[in-house]
Amino acid sequence: MNTVQSNSLIQQADPIRIGFIPLIDCAPFVIAQEKGFFVDEGVNVVLSKEASWASIRDKVAFNLLDGAHMLSSMPIAASLGIGSIKTAMQTSFTVSHNGNGITIGNFLYDQLQHFADSSLDIRTGVALKRLIDHRGDNVAPLRFAMVYPYSSHNYQLRDWLSRAGINPDKDVQIVVIPPVKMVDNLRRGDIDGYCVGEPWNSLAVEQGVGHMLVTGYEIWGSTPEKVFGVNALWAEQNQAQHLAIIRALDKACAWVDVAENQAELLSILSHPDYLNCTMQQLVYGFGSIKPKGQFDWPMEAFQRFSGSDINKPLPSYALWVMAQMHRWQQLGGVSKLNQLAEQIYRKDLYYKALGLVEDKNAIEWQLPEADEATWLSLVADGEIRLHPEGILKGFERLA
Amino acid sequence: MSAPPEKELTVMLVDNEPARAAIVEQAMMDSGYRVIRRLENAKNLTEAVAEFQPDMVIIDIESPDRDMLENMSRLTKDNPRPIVMFAEQDDSKYVEAAIRAGVSAYVVDGVNSGSVKALLQVAIARFREFHALRSELESVKSQLEDRKLIDKAKGLIMKHQKCDEPAAYQALRKLAMDRSQRMTDVARNIISVMELMGGSK
Repeated sequence: MNTVQSNSLIQQADPIRIGFIPLIDCAPFVIAQEKGFFVDEGVNVVLSKEASWASIRDKVAFNLLDGAHMLSSMPIAASLGIGSIKTAMQTSFTVSHNGNGITIGNFLYDQLQHFADSSLDIRTGVALKRLIDHRGDNVAPLRFAMVYPYSSHNYQLRDWLSRAGINPDKDVQIVVIPPVKMVDNLRRGDIDGYCVGEPWNSLAVEQGVGHMLVTGYEIWGSTPEKVFGVNALWAEQNQAQHLAIIRALDKACAWVDVAENQAELLSILSHPDYLNCTMQQLVYGFGSIKPKGQFDWPMEAFQRFSGSDINKPLPSYALWVMAQMHRWQQLGGVSKLNQLAEQIYRKDLYYKALGLVEDKNAIEWQLPEADEATWLSLVADGEIRLHPEGILKGFERLA
Repeated sequence: MSAPPEKELTVMLVDNEPARAAIVEQAMMDSGYRVIRRLENAKNLTEAVAEFQPDMVIIDIESPDRDMLENMSRLTKDNPRPIVMFAEQDDSKYVEAAIRAGVSAYVVDGVNSGSVKALLQVAIARFREFHALRSELESVKSQLEDRKLIDKAKGLIMKHQKCDEPAAYQALRKLAMDRSQRMTDVARNIISVMELMGGSK
C-alpha cells in the first residue's frame, strides 16, 4: 500500500527534467535513475541527453530543463552573464573531481624530441616552448583543442602552456571540438593536441594516435569537474525536490566508486540511451589501468565521485574559476566576488540535504572585497596557484 | 509579396537533416533572404564562418557542433554571437520560442534586430512544421504496426477458439478492458504466449 501511495504521488507531480552530456562523468545521474535512487527519494526524474554545453545552458536558462550535469564553471558563467544571457544558476552538489588530460599527436611528439633533454621537458611544455620559438612567426600556429570556452579544460590547457612561457592567445591557436571528435581530429592532423576528459586521452594512446603528456590532476591537483547545476529560481520554488535529488546523487556517487559495481556500471553507461559505445571504450575512464604510453610516471587522471569532501560545493573553487575567467579576459568588471561565489556554490543546501552539520569552527578561505583586485592579478600572473594537492587544501603563493 | 528587408541579411544554415534544411532554405528565399551557405555537417564549420562571414548562422539546437561557435564568438567581435545574448529580459519570448522549436542562432553585432526576429520566425515555423510532419509519419507507422499485431492476434484466437472474426475481436477487446491495457499490448502478449506454446504455426 505504501509503495502504491508513493508511486501515485510521484506520478501526479510533473517530472523534473535533468539534462546530461554523454560523458563518463554523467554516471551518477544515470545510476541514480537506473538503480532507482531518485524514486527512493520520492522524485520523478526524466533524464534528457543533450548534444552540447550550449544546449544545456540555453535549456536550463529558458526552463526547458530544471537542472543538468554541468561543467563546474557553467553556473558561474550563466549567473554572471558571461557568454550568454544573465540567468541565476547555482549548484549545491559537486558530482566529480578530475578526469582531464592533455594529449598531443605523434607528429608533434616526434618533433619535440629534438628540443628535449629529458622526458620532463616534454611533460612540462619546455620543449614545446623551444619548438615554438624555433618555428618563428612565419608558419601557421600549432592548434590545440578543448571542449568549451568556459571549462576547466580550457583553463588547465592555458595554465599548462603559460607555465612553460607559451602565450595561449598569441603563440598557439585554441579551438573548440566536441570530445567524441577529438581523437579523429588528432589522427587527421587537423589539430596538434588537446585537453579533454577520459577516455579520449587513453584511447588516443591506445590507438597509437598520440601521447598523453600530463593530467588535469597534475596541473591543478584535485578539483571539481562536473556539478549538478540548476536554475536558481527553480531551486527556490522546489527546494524539497532539489534536496531529494542531491540525496539520490550522493548515493549514486558512492555506488559508482565501489569497485565491485564497475561491470554493471559500464554495462549501463554503454547503453544507447546513454554513452552508446562499447564497454571496452569506457574501461579507461574508471580503472586505474592506463594504456602503456611512452612514459612511466604515475598517471593520476582518475575521476573521483565520492569521499573526502568531493561532493561539497566549495565557494573557494568558484573564486578560482572567476580568477581564471579574469586571467583570460572573460570576466569583465565584476566585484564582491566572495559573495557571488557563496551565492552560486551553495554549501548550506548541501548540508541541509544530507542532514550534515556544518563545522562552524572550520576556517573557510575568504576573499575580502578590498583584496580582490590584487588577488585576481596575482592569479593572472601565475603567482598564486592551487595547492598541489588541490582546492581542498586551498591556494599557495609562489615565493 | 512582403516588403524586402532593409538590408540583405546573409545567412548560413547548418543542419544535418537535409530535408529540413531544404525546406528552411526555400522559405527564407521566399521571404527575400539570401542563404549564402548550407552545410549538412559541421566539418570545417569554423573555417566556413570565417570565410563567408554570415550575418547570422542558424543551427539545429541538437547539433554537437554548437560549442565550436560558442568559442568563435568569444574571439573577435566580428564573429556571430549566440542569440541568447541578445534576448533582453522583456523581449525574450522569441528566443524562448526558437529554443522550444529546436532552432538556435548566432548573430553578428549590429545587425538590424527586426530582420533577425523576422528571419528567426521563418526558421521557427519551418522547424515546427518539419517536426509535426515527422511525428505524423511516426504515428502513421505505429498505427500500421498496431493493426498488424491486432490482426495477427485475432487470427490466432480464431484458430484456437474456432470462432469467427467478430468474436475474436470482442475477446481481444474484453481482455484489454479487463486489464486496462491497450489492445496492441494485449495482442502482443497473446502472440508471444501462443508462440511459446507453439500455437502460432
